[in-house]
Amino acid sequence: MSNNLINSSLEAAIDVTRRHFLGRGIGLSIGAAALSQLLARNGLAGNAANESLAVGLPHFAARAKRVIFLTQSGGPSQIELYDEKPGLREWAGKELPDSVRQGQRLTTMTASQKQLVMPSRARFRRCGESGATVGEWLPHLAKVADELCFIKSMHTDQINHAPAMTQFLTGNQIPGKPSIGTWISYGLGSENRNLPDYLVMISKMQRPSDQPLYDHYWGSGFLPSRYQGVKLRNAREPVLYLRDPDGVPRELRRGMLDGLAELNQQHLAETGDPEIATRIRQYEMSYRMQSSVPELIDLSDETDATFQLYGPDSRRPGSYAANCILARRLAERDVRFIQLFHPDWDHHSRLPSWCTARCRDVDQPTAGLITDLKQRGLLNDTLVIWGGEFGRGVAGQGQWDSPEAGRDHHPRCFTMWLAGGGVKPGLTYGSTDDFSYNTAENPVHVRDLHATVLHLLGIDHERLTHRFQGLDFKLTGVEPARVVTELFA
Amino acid sequence: MLKRPLAIFVCLLLTLPLAAEDRVRFSRDVLPILTENCFACHGPDESQRKADLRLDTREGALTVLSLEKPAESELLARVLAVDDEVVMPPPASHKKRLTKRQVETLRRWIEAGAPWGKHWAFEKPVQVDPPKIAAHPIDAFVRARLAEEGLALSARAARHTLARRVSFDLTGLPPSTSELDEFLKDDSNLAYERFVDRLLASEHFGERLAMWWLDAARYSDTDGFQGDATRTNWPWRDWVIGAFNRNLPFDQFTIEQFAGDLLPNATPEQRLATCFHRNHMTNGEGGRDPEESRIDYVIDRVSTTGTLWLGLTLGCCQCHSHKYDPITQRDFYSLTAFFNSIDEDGKASTAAKPYLSYQSPLAAWAVQEAQELVDQRKPREAQARTAAEAPFADWLIARAAEVKGGFQAWHPLVNAELESIEGTQLSQIADGTVQASGANPRQDDYRLAAAVKLSRVTGLKLEVLPHDSHSGGGLSRGQSGEFILTDIKVQVRRRGSSQIRDLLVASAVANVSTEQKDARSYGDIKGVLDDDPRNGWTTKGHDSKQPHVAVFALAEPLELETDEELVFELRQRSTDGDANIGRFRVSVTDQAGATVRSIDTPLLEQLAAVKLSELAQLDSKLREKLFDQFLADHEPYQVEKAALDRATRQLSEVQNGAKKIDVMVLAERAEPRPTHVLLRGVWDKKGEIVPRDVPAAIAAWTAEEPRTREQLARWIVSRDNPLAARVIVNHFWQMLFGTGLVRTTEDFGLQGERPTHPELLDWLAVDFMEHGWDIKRLLKLIVTSETYQQSSSVSAALLARDPENRLLARGSRFRLPSWMLRDAALKSSGLLNPALGGPPVRPYQPDGVWEEMFMGRFKYEPSEGAAQHRRTLYAFWRRAIAPTFLFDSAQRRVCEVRPSRTNTPLQALTLLNDANYLAAARALAGHALQAGADPPTRLTEITRRVVSRPPTPRETTILERELERAMTYFRTHPADARKFLSQTNYQRTEQSQPDAEFAAYTLVASLILNLDEALNHE
Repeated sequence: MSNNLINSSLEAAIDVTRRHFLGRGIGLSIGAAALSQLLARNGLAGNAANESLAVGLPHFAARAKRVIFLTQSGGPSQIELYDEKPGLREWAGKELPDSVRQGQRLTTMTASQKQLVMPSRARFRRCGESGATVGEWLPHLAKVADELCFIKSMHTDQINHAPAMTQFLTGNQIPGKPSIGTWISYGLGSENRNLPDYLVMISKMQRPSDQPLYDHYWGSGFLPSRYQGVKLRNAREPVLYLRDPDGVPRELRRGMLDGLAELNQQHLAETGDPEIATRIRQYEMSYRMQSSVPELIDLSDETDATFQLYGPDSRRPGSYAANCILARRLAERDVRFIQLFHPDWDHHSRLPSWCTARCRDVDQPTAGLITDLKQRGLLNDTLVIWGGEFGRGVAGQGQWDSPEAGRDHHPRCFTMWLAGGGVKPGLTYGSTDDFSYNTAENPVHVRDLHATVLHLLGIDHERLTHRFQGLDFKLTGVEPARVVTELFA
Repeated sequence: MLKRPLAIFVCLLLTLPLAAEDRVRFSRDVLPILTENCFACHGPDESQRKADLRLDTREGALTVLSLEKPAESELLARVLAVDDEVVMPPPASHKKRLTKRQVETLRRWIEAGAPWGKHWAFEKPVQVDPPKIAAHPIDAFVRARLAEEGLALSARAARHTLARRVSFDLTGLPPSTSELDEFLKDDSNLAYERFVDRLLASEHFGERLAMWWLDAARYSDTDGFQGDATRTNWPWRDWVIGAFNRNLPFDQFTIEQFAGDLLPNATPEQRLATCFHRNHMTNGEGGRDPEESRIDYVIDRVSTTGTLWLGLTLGCCQCHSHKYDPITQRDFYSLTAFFNSIDEDGKASTAAKPYLSYQSPLAAWAVQEAQELVDQRKPREAQARTAAEAPFADWLIARAAEVKGGFQAWHPLVNAELESIEGTQLSQIADGTVQASGANPRQDDYRLAAAVKLSRVTGLKLEVLPHDSHSGGGLSRGQSGEFILTDIKVQVRRRGSSQIRDLLVASAVANVSTEQKDARSYGDIKGVLDDDPRNGWTTKGHDSKQPHVAVFALAEPLELETDEELVFELRQRSTDGDANIGRFRVSVTDQAGATVRSIDTPLLEQLAAVKLSELAQLDSKLREKLFDQFLADHEPYQVEKAALDRATRQLSEVQNGAKKIDVMVLAERAEPRPTHVLLRGVWDKKGEIVPRDVPAAIAAWTAEEPRTREQLARWIVSRDNPLAARVIVNHFWQMLFGTGLVRTTEDFGLQGERPTHPELLDWLAVDFMEHGWDIKRLLKLIVTSETYQQSSSVSAALLARDPENRLLARGSRFRLPSWMLRDAALKSSGLLNPALGGPPVRPYQPDGVWEEMFMGRFKYEPSEGAAQHRRTLYAFWRRAIAPTFLFDSAQRRVCEVRPSRTNTPLQALTLLNDANYLAAARALAGHALQAGADPPTRLTEITRRVVSRPPTPRETTILERELERAMTYFRTHPADARKFLSQTNYQRTEQSQPDAEFAAYTLVASLILNLDEALNHE
């Protein structure tokens, strides 16, 4: 069979398959996005680089094209970092009033202990023109506070790490649902043919973390696994299996892939299965990734000024700071969803020394990232998100006035911030009560945040669904979720 | 030319048309419309019900139907309404308007008197006689359906294809060339059946089915949460393999897993079977209430039962009554009651009782294998040690001569660049001592960078020195004169380069160090290695007017380039503060062994004190220590030593597995717990108490049976239960055809898909039950049908008519699961270790994967020797990070029953570059080289092993071309050939073959392993 003939019979098959899916018959209830995925998989999407064609996505004009999610795992303390409560000094060492606590659940770590108020261990400053409050442990972030949009009234349902982080990233506390990055790359497809749509980086730490980062945090759940986050490792092999074996140079691999493609073409002609054509293309993309990824992670073309901007740690590969530079490089390359994880924010004890150590890790690099995105004109269409799975409680854990004291988990309120990508710079939204214990105004649930992030990317959270086990699942779950339009610029 | 009739066909196929003569059938035609469009607000879930209207009962529906004047029915008026306020479903639901055809269906249904009925899956299956058009019942049903479409079955697949297909389906492995030859030689009519019988009798059969079951059972070797602790439930995995191999009837298989502990005179194996319901994740997180976890586990069991046996999404009912299926929240919690009185308390890790103490009979051989490896390596290690004595003697003489004039192991870092973060002034004097002055901040980090003259660095020494300018002449300028060092960092900086690299420090010792238990106080020198400011080193409580010293060993000796500098950072970030070091000195050494692992006088300095003439009478203890120091640097010895150490660790691990181990099982509490409906599914929001019961909509409980787990299992597999047999038969169909007759394997409810061949599904389900739930019989029945044996080649026309092969007019072609690909590579390359059962093994996985996830807490050490080549089924499964060489696999967190099949560049990279596949490619090259002298014979050998057929002449041409290309390269680059070959532990035995040839065949074998045909169920 000549190549032409193969192609024309394949085209015919493709044409029918396309209409077959667009026809949406009974019993073939696939989501709009899955449809484009199927089309793309079968080579039906005319332009493989943008797979969201013809299926109504985005649902409306997007304010952001991509996301950088700076995930702070362990529960950073809003009381030291952002949510200033000067009145707490008068309550120092006194028991938290029942009227505030309202029988709220505690973890079993402090359930048996008296809830004695521990005022913030950090001092605060009002920053910039917006006058946002940022704790003294984050001096660099304070300088860019006018670019940030703070949500002081975040709240979640879960009080323990793994369930809370799972809810924070997948909308449900039980593992197995797709992560937010998966939903977004699934919904919008990729704009870069040579890199995955969703990349994940984890800071290299020296001490074993108490909260491991499970791969379901960036998993695809029941969505196709090609949308799961791909981990960019700080290792000889930045993406698993990316390196050809030693001793096999590029030209030899190229020749081998050509031979493989030729043999697979023959098999395609014999069997007629269009999936073989897809496989041939995927092997080609794998070859391209072998150059695009090393080029991505090679920071030798970054200037000294850049390293100075992100701070001294940025010279250390694998650090949060170095990952921030990589995040900017990924944004430049139009990768859809870029997620950093910085562990070890779980400060149950010795909070003043422990928390400052983590602040030092992230402060300058995060501020550097904001500044850098802005000066390169990327901040307008890049949504930056900073936050963890919950906050920390106002009561001291351990002897409240000793250096050993820390804070326990607290889901009822915590602070996050967004920047760029269509949100109002310098805004502080929502507030908490005098104890940073309950939300006071404009509470924002995790699912509201999800709905808002999707909206900024042009996605209606009610309409990005996937049929699984007989139900139309969505990121925001079954409870009503609110798009917080007040945050929009 | 093709397009128009095809488009019409596609429409017809997919919308299940109502031909004029066709009667409207409620279950087939009407119920799906109501389910999809109305039930979310007018279905079984009371809490979501709007306008007090329910359309899931006939009684409810009649309130909006007018049987006398069908056209005036409120239902029709609403779905036809133009006004957004009136139309149903409402625009806010994001559901589309009903199509004309759907409205027409509803109208005709009302005209016919609105007959009601059950959803098909809730009716008991009834066996109708197969159409009399084929001898085989499956073919009769499939042919009849095809005939309706004017289609026929495709021709039989080629024999080699068939052998390969059925071999994968029944054993998860391709046939060996001899198994294949035996089949191809047999030209009797019974050849295929005999081949099938051999596969069914093979022990690999049980392994293949077990992989299916393990995925569904969310089996794992770890807990999954928090520390992801290891559990030892693998004897249950072996029980599953054994059950399939002895063809335990599926109903009994079910009963034992639900209630083996409750059976009269339960055997240990029957109790072991109940581990099925303990395979859920467990969470031992510090702040977690164990009761909350326990309730999660109980709910997980019901959800798993629903998905796996009943094909129902029961998990929905945790929070509310089902929106589509007739299962209420009360039904759900009544089911949980069967699992609510397990003698468990919600704890994890090693406290996850109840346990069965069990000794596996299948671990002994693993011990033997591991022992053989140790026995093999021990003499090599000893030999290497002996062989090192001669060079040691020379070394000793040379060193003794060298150090004669005095020897200094430690070399202070001088002329250093000094820096402090918070403003302490640091200055250095000639001997390397650094003195702090000026500002004295509460906390500070000092950084010292210097060139190193030694050709390598093995460790660093830090001396903390007293000085008169310090408080009380002590060690710091802080009030107490004491210092606290919280962390150190050792790094390398290249001049002019942007990047810094961290060096791993293997150990730290100090002259004064207080071991700390809680890791949250100061004293222990080891605390400076963990980047945690809550612990660290202080000599408080000891003489602060004396120098103190700490020594750090690097994990790997460091060789610095001329333009590189060593950076040593002292972090002083203690909570207490005011304890920065006042005076210190940092030195480096190139000495290995005791010098960097103790604070004793370095050995060579001791040696320097010995006269050369007395060298022969050297103190034996010192000599022994010097020998150890020599060996630490003696590569030939270290290679053997490391190999022996790995084998020894492996042996002790499997020895532990061979002892009595704890397997998590079910056992009933003496006092049953009351079971509550949990309001909105929240664990501590307790509603009404419910008794143990089953959903009546599926099948009512027969009054006289006691309400136990055993009886629950019997209810599931009873003839009255309409679901289990259909669901399980569908699983097997999916296993063999890639897709079930009901595509939504996990959902037979109203939102699931209807079967493509409902009568066939029911026929098989009834047949399965009537023949004692005999799995091997069922599988043999299916694989001996013509339907199964069809060729999977497809014409463009047929592909266009039925892209997903729902009508079965051809064989199924789909990518094999990734675990099967690895197993196939092992078998075709002859590496496979066919041993059955035993403790888990660790196939190759890239370095650092576990360490990254757990910040170094777990290290993955691949199995060595024969244990490396076990089937993937036995690979250690860490839930937090599944084996990286797998893709599209079940995640083993919750029950998963439908395979995912994607096609991505990362998969291509895995198959091209993973060590598992490279090892197989090398082994295949070895076989090829032994098969003959000429390239065609050799290439045929590889191709036959991998795809069960010889290459076509055209393929041979291409393969020869690729071989030649590789050979040319490797001949001109012999170093690359060796490098390529040395990348796996595969021991080359074909010494006669030149490296270039071996490497070239390995590369071509890798190409063949990546052929689409090698990856597919053809």
